[in-house]
Amino acid sequence: MKKLKKEKLTELWSLLAERTSLYLPVDEGGSVNFLPWEKGMEVDLDALNSTIPPKSIFFQQTEVYLQYTTEEDGLKFEEITPQGPAVLFGVRPCDLKGIQLLDNVFLQEPEDSLYKQRRLETTIVALTCTKPDSSCFCTLFDIDPGAAPGADLLATDLGEEFVFTAQSEKGESLLEAIATLLEDAEADSKAVEEVRRQAKAAVPTHGLDVEGLKEKLDSMFDDPIWGTFYRRCLGCGTCTYLCPTCHCFDIQDHTRGEEGLRFRCWDSCMFGEFTLMASGHNPRPTQKERVRNRFLHKLNYYPKNFESYACVGCGRCVRKCPVNLDMIEVIKALGGVTSGSC
Amino acid sequence: MKPTVDKLKEIAAETLVGKKAELILGWQKGSFWWQSFPAFIEKQEELDSLTWDPFCVANLSIYLLEELKRKKKVALFVKGCDALAINRLLQDKCIEREQVLLYGLPCKGMADRAKIEAAVGEELSIREVRRDGDEFIVLTDNGEQHLDASNYLLDKCLSCRYPNPIVYDQLLAQEIDTFPVKERFQSVVKLENSTFEERYLYWSGHFNRCLRCFACRNVCPACNCRECIFDQNEPRWLGKANILSENQFCHLIRAYHVAGRCIDCGECQRVCPMDIPLQELNRKLIKDLNELYGDYDAGTDPEEPQPLGTFKLDDPASFSES
Ligand code: SF4
Ligand code: SF4
Ligand code: SF4
Ligand code: SF4
Repeated sequence: MKKLKKEKLTELWSLLAERTSLYLPVDEGGSVNFLPWEKGMEVDLDALNSTIPPKSIFFQQTEVYLQYTTEEDGLKFEEITPQGPAVLFGVRPCDLKGIQLLDNVFLQEPEDSLYKQRRLETTIVALTCTKPDSSCFCTLFDIDPGAAPGADLLATDLGEEFVFTAQSEKGESLLEAIATLLEDAEADSKAVEEVRRQAKAAVPTHGLDVEGLKEKLDSMFDDPIWGTFYRRCLGCGTCTYLCPTCHCFDIQDHTRGEEGLRFRCWDSCMFGEFTLMASGHNPRPTQKERVRNRFLHKLNYYPKNFESYACVGCGRCVRKCPVNLDMIEVIKALGGVTSGSC
Repeated sequence: MKPTVDKLKEIAAETLVGKKAELILGWQKGSFWWQSFPAFIEKQEELDSLTWDPFCVANLSIYLLEELKRKKKVALFVKGCDALAINRLLQDKCIEREQVLLYGLPCKGMADRAKIEAAVGEELSIREVRRDGDEFIVLTDNGEQHLDASNYLLDKCLSCRYPNPIVYDQLLAQEIDTFPVKERFQSVVKLENSTFEERYLYWSGHFNRCLRCFACRNVCPACNCRECIFDQNEPRWLGKANILSENQFCHLIRAYHVAGRCIDCGECQRVCPMDIPLQELNRKLIKDLNELYGDYDAGTDPEEPQPLGTFKLDDPASFSES
């Protein structure tokens, strides 16, 4: 374990940015998001969850991967590949789990090469939580806000300093690269344990229980409950775009004259066009089927494929859905409740 | 006298029993003290879920387009801003007056969760926030706190000019005195006085962040086209790439489509997950229209000709200005 005094953070950013691209949670005026760091930016390591989850670093909202031109002897293609190594600093435990859930999808055969390259070349520094929000519920999905298994480096905030624990080779070599800024922290291990323990205890339970919910939903596809939820849904993309586990995309061409670009971009099952087929048929014709899909995907379909619920309890949909059609509301209504309220 | 939850429940019960409407749109509480969301009430046993508290901000009129496809008559509660939205839909011929039964609720402004949390400071233990006169009473695990409500309103409510509904069938409480409001064009004037480069930086910074989630459009009572140009895919007017040029195109088109029709309800800006100040763009157009064609307040009178929807033979400005 090593530690870094907070007053040395700017030095740390400069040192890292010299070697690689560095993504940090930056205050963009009200909303904090992971951006490539440049001198002068206002880094906010106290904000809990970035508005846009860090999935966007690996699975970009818009990603051009092919360029084409028409020439005399036919169409010429040029592949565009992701750019070099990066460090992603400040990922919260729920969001790290979100990235791991995306790994299940993008790294299974056939592998998604764009995603894979970014993933392999990026060093993730996770940051444990100290003060969970009232809308957090990560512990419902067995996520520990004080730990981040699978992150390359784990950072814990002790108030005046960050304590780092390397969890992979990439993490170790990052610590070596910044060794000049660090001090030994073996003596702080008790304090670190305590901060992590407190974080876990501070996550509200909301009286929720998802034990057996997946199985229960097996027979709820035609349940009348779907006919009630959806009526208030605006059909916007807020919940899906901001969800760290949503991963649907579309592929489109942008052609101008003789040249063009092929890109992939986020898509949302909440949009009517999402399942619209070339024939004009739409198997999810109304918002009812779309809302049902969003929740069954997270609580039933994905778990069937990968043995894990596809919600990490980050609370983004709770905070941002304009009509509160969020995961906590829906789990409760579906009967995933033990007792009490929020 | 302020409208009470009991009054809302009573009137809703009468509506159902008397078969005055097939559906009642109201609000119900969510899991959190700051959540009150749209409720769709069709049965007696659902009546009890109705609420009326400082978080009933959602404008229920936007659901009429969908619900009136199946229902002959829908009853709904309308605050001041929601009533303007009803007039918007009437003027755009999206609904007929006989299709709706309107219960008016004079409104002193809705509460801002973030402002209250910042003041109370113990966000995990707030249980309930209710209004009492000019105060918000915050119930926490450690007792009660009284806040001067005017400091904890949603930004959009700070410049509300129509707290009393201007269209209704029955008003559920006495009209309230209008209160002093923030001048709504302040930030527009500030932008107008900046340089072209500054303005470009300002808006491109904001539109760069746009997610293109369309919450702004979907919540907007003036965005009532059956098929939005942004959803058409043959041809695809708006490319799906999230890049500045497409985002700017999207927002300029929307601003112009609602110009002269925007009721300045502020819903678009309130629901934007990326905190983009959309209302400033709409207000710039409102201000320009007022200056060019004389004062006009969209949503106040569905019969009044619209500045951009009217043709005059003696129009002082011809199509070509040359
Ligand atoms: S559930 Fe909420 S955030 Fe999601 S599409 Fe519906 S209104 Fe938008
Ligand atoms: S469903 Fe909601 S709470 Fe769960 S991971 Fe997605 S945004 Fe977070
Ligand atoms: S609500 Fe905000 S983020 Fe979503 S499309 Fe509108 S401006 Fe963009
Ligand atoms: S303020 Fe926004 S949501 Fe309200 S009418 Fe105008 S454009 Fe639509």
